Amino acid sequence: MASETKMNHVQSPSSYAHGSVAQIKELIASRSVSAKEIAQNSLEFVKNTDHEVHAFTEVTEKLALEAAEKIDKLVADGEELPALAGVPVAFKDNMNLLGTKTTCSSRMLENYHSPYTATCVQKMLDAGAIPLGKLNMDEFAFGSSTETSAFGPSKNPYDLERVPGGSSGGSAAAVAAGQAILTLGSDTGGSIRQPASFCGVYGFKPTYGVISRFGVVAFGSSLDQVGPFARSIDDIAESMNVLCGRDPYDCTSQASLGSYTEHLHDSIKGKKIGVVRSMIEAQGVTPEVTEAMYKAAENLEKAGATLVDVELEHAQAAMSAYYVIGPCEAFSNLSRFDSVRYGYCTPDCADLATQQSQSRSTGFGAEVCRRIMLGSYLLSSGVYEQYYLNALKVRTLITRDYENAFTSCDTLLMPTAPRAAFKFGEISDPTEMYLSDMFTVSINIAGNCGISVPVGLGSSSGLPIGAQLVGPAFKDQELLQVAAALGSAYGPASVAPQFAQSL
Amino acid sequence: MSLTERDIRAIADYARIDLPQDQLPAMTTYMNDVIETLRPIIEYDLEGVEPTYHPIGSLANVMREDAAVPSLSQEEALSNAPQSEDGCFKVPAILGGEQ
Repeated sequence: MASETKMNHVQSPSSYAHGSVAQIKELIASRSVSAKEIAQNSLEFVKNTDHEVHAFTEVTEKLALEAAEKIDKLVADGEELPALAGVPVAFKDNMNLLGTKTTCSSRMLENYHSPYTATCVQKMLDAGAIPLGKLNMDEFAFGSSTETSAFGPSKNPYDLERVPGGSSGGSAAAVAAGQAILTLGSDTGGSIRQPASFCGVYGFKPTYGVISRFGVVAFGSSLDQVGPFARSIDDIAESMNVLCGRDPYDCTSQASLGSYTEHLHDSIKGKKIGVVRSMIEAQGVTPEVTEAMYKAAENLEKAGATLVDVELEHAQAAMSAYYVIGPCEAFSNLSRFDSVRYGYCTPDCADLATQQSQSRSTGFGAEVCRRIMLGSYLLSSGVYEQYYLNALKVRTLITRDYENAFTSCDTLLMPTAPRAAFKFGEISDPTEMYLSDMFTVSINIAGNCGISVPVGLGSSSGLPIGAQLVGPAFKDQELLQVAAALGSAYGPASVAPQFAQSL
Repeated sequence: MSLTERDIRAIADYARIDLPQDQLPAMTTYMNDVIETLRPIIEYDLEGVEPTYHPIGSLANVMREDAAVPSLSQEEALSNAPQSEDGCFKVPAILGGEQ
């Protein structure tokens, strides 16, 4: 990209948060703008737009200005600037950050103050990022639309009458509305990739273990992974350089795989892309999504890749395995809400059991109660052997499917979601809502990496559509390289039109 | 065999959720609906397949030195407690609350 175009874009910005990491770096390093100005301008844009988007649960003005001050001091002292110096960011509200509440968008944690800072958040702050606030989500990450948030849903910046997806809906909406350059989300069954697809931005779920989960409220411990949202693959890669690495506080976290930016734009000539036709043409997939996937395949071929057909034999079983493993792990994780150590507590109960039962039914919303109930049942004696143990065996088959697929190709191409963003209230049956995750859950089950790449607007809906690229475990850099090649056919994702000029 | 409202009440009690009576029919419908969609799991031929508990199969035990490191203070640990007293979490009676 010519630097001239870059500068034109940032000279009259409606918000600095509409720019990229590279642009912010350049502005700060050249002393064109101070980090304080970036922070103030970004905060103002959030204030002016969030009554429409409702991406934020909390805006952290004080923390943002303190972070900016540190950067400006580095600039004044002529010190080297860290990787994300002055970049406006925000965090899903299941990530602890000292000085903020961590609510998980639940009444249960409405008044919960973070006692420490999550490793992923701390790494962003250490890299000089400016924290604008915490982001709305489905309650405890159970949902695909943010409609289960106890504080009201977030809106899709492309159409405010539609959902942004979920559960990390606030994280996707904030990036799509140009409120932040980078946000973090978490993905247990598609909670990063599906909202990224609905909001027309990049959303990356790294391989299980690549980013520490310490300080992130757990949902499904063998499935959860933290990952970034951004409007360009370059910004995703910049954030991955900062986020990855071993953390003594999360024993599943792995040593860094190395630079994500170094070979990001290398040619993908000779790479084999496995096209998963059975998913692209599956029942329930809208024609515009099918069309967009074949167009994406064509673009990858033009970039030098070879297309091969790939089938995942046990893909059908992934949904049922996920809706056994997920609720079982959630049931276990959510037992920590005991009304004693933290969280909502119903006052004046005669005994502890009554206090716990009443606090949990009052503090948890309907979907949280449903998942806990389901997990409780599936783990009960006699049922466990039929469902949970079988689901773990199916997990073995799904993992083998991917291993087999990756013997004949480097990366898989499939839809992120079967359709573009739906309207609020359009899906009221919880079991129908679960189908939003039909193409994303198997990657969490197997543990490998996946990214949703924005591939333009749907030919009939006019709404963003995402293509999902899936790579083998710990081949995260190679996956981003393919995503970069695919993304370059469409250009960087833009801020949603309605918010591009609204300051 | 589907779950009855009585089963659902027992599951709720076990999970420490005080499910209101008027929500019992909807929860029963939901549970039976989801369990029906999970049917493929019990119908699969899984003879000889080992379960996978964790996506990182090769992960060995992670050990660390048994050394004291800074941690939350007692005050910090209690700061989110709904009720505390004398540096302890406070709870109502565990047994015989009615007396």
